[in-house]
Amino acid sequence: MAADTHLEKETEQVQDIWNGGTEPMKASYGKLMMWYFILSDAFTFASFLIMYAALRMSAEVWPDPNAVFNSFPFVHGTKLPLGFVTVMTFILILSSVFVVRAVQEGHRMNKNGVLLWMFWGIVGGAAFLGCQAWEWNHLIHQGLTLTSNPFGYYTTPQVVEGQTVDVFQGYVNLAYDHEADSFSLPEDNKGTKGEEIPANASHSEGNWLFGCLFFFITGFHGFHVSTGVLMNIILWIQAARGVYQRRGHYEMVEKIGLYWHFVDLVWVFVFLAFYLL
Amino acid sequence: MAAHNDNAAYEKQKKAVWVATVIMGVVTILEVAVALSWPEAWGRGVLNLLFILMSAVKAVFIVGEFMHLRYEMRAMMISILAPCLFLVWFLIAFMMEGQSWLALREFWN
Repeated sequence: MAADTHLEKETEQVQDIWNGGTEPMKASYGKLMMWYFILSDAFTFASFLIMYAALRMSAEVWPDPNAVFNSFPFVHGTKLPLGFVTVMTFILILSSVFVVRAVQEGHRMNKNGVLLWMFWGIVGGAAFLGCQAWEWNHLIHQGLTLTSNPFGYYTTPQVVEGQTVDVFQGYVNLAYDHEADSFSLPEDNKGTKGEEIPANASHSEGNWLFGCLFFFITGFHGFHVSTGVLMNIILWIQAARGVYQRRGHYEMVEKIGLYWHFVDLVWVFVFLAFYLL
Repeated sequence: MAAHNDNAAYEKQKKAVWVATVIMGVVTILEVAVALSWPEAWGRGVLNLLFILMSAVKAVFIVGEFMHLRYEMRAMMISILAPCLFLVWFLIAFMMEGQSWLALREFWN
């Protein structure tokens, strides 16, 4: 009799294995699938960034990020290279940290802790999106679009081996005329390093691929942030309604949290590619 | 006793997260400071290498600590990290491709 029960129990366990009843790698189905989704999404982002690398490598002149990203909201007249994007990076890192705290509180079944930290995570995500909207708006006003680029350069004619050729001298942020949709040298006639542009210099628009890649890749990242914020909000509402308390665990916070950290991870590389290198 | 241990572990985790935050913040400030103060005469090569290394530090913290992949089973870590090795050749190949496009453009000009 005892042997029978033992056999029965073992058969049940074997049946469980055939039905996928065991957890591979000691992670739940949902968590594992979130990880593999993130892996596939990482390849998508990597493809975009590698495309950016290839096209940038193929360009003769590429804008200097320190001269492109040097504006700050409500600060006029002073150039703050990379200032605003540093703030944006901090906001996203902090938002990620808040979600880590929410996961930790979830482990302790502390509903109010989860709600508090998820709230700050959502605020961080929304603030990041607001910053990005400001930056896009500012760059578009300067004349950066999918096909035009005000972050150009100037050349002077020089004689090289008996031939007159235009030689690159420096970068210049061209002034954009909205009415005529054209670019001209800035009023103060100065390059990005504050140097005087010689009278015989001719100016060119920057590589048009810059705006195209910038808007496309930061836009795709921003789209991920938007969906992340949306999922965080749904999670917050569910948590507030006590769904996870009734379910007995807060694993959903961890699964959505993984996605949220991934968005932060991608930003590290977007920041590297567009603002630093 | 168990509750006490849980509490100690929780306090430890909490501390680890804030330490990771401070490290990532410092690395980001360092990146921007280096970007702004790097003398032009030193060239871009070393600078770019520094940027890539510092970004890698941040990436390791996000994936290891925030997404706590470090604490998952070894098989799971490998199943996620190993496919990313493909990206190394992907990147090298396309950077070479880009250089070739540049060379061709200069040739035909």
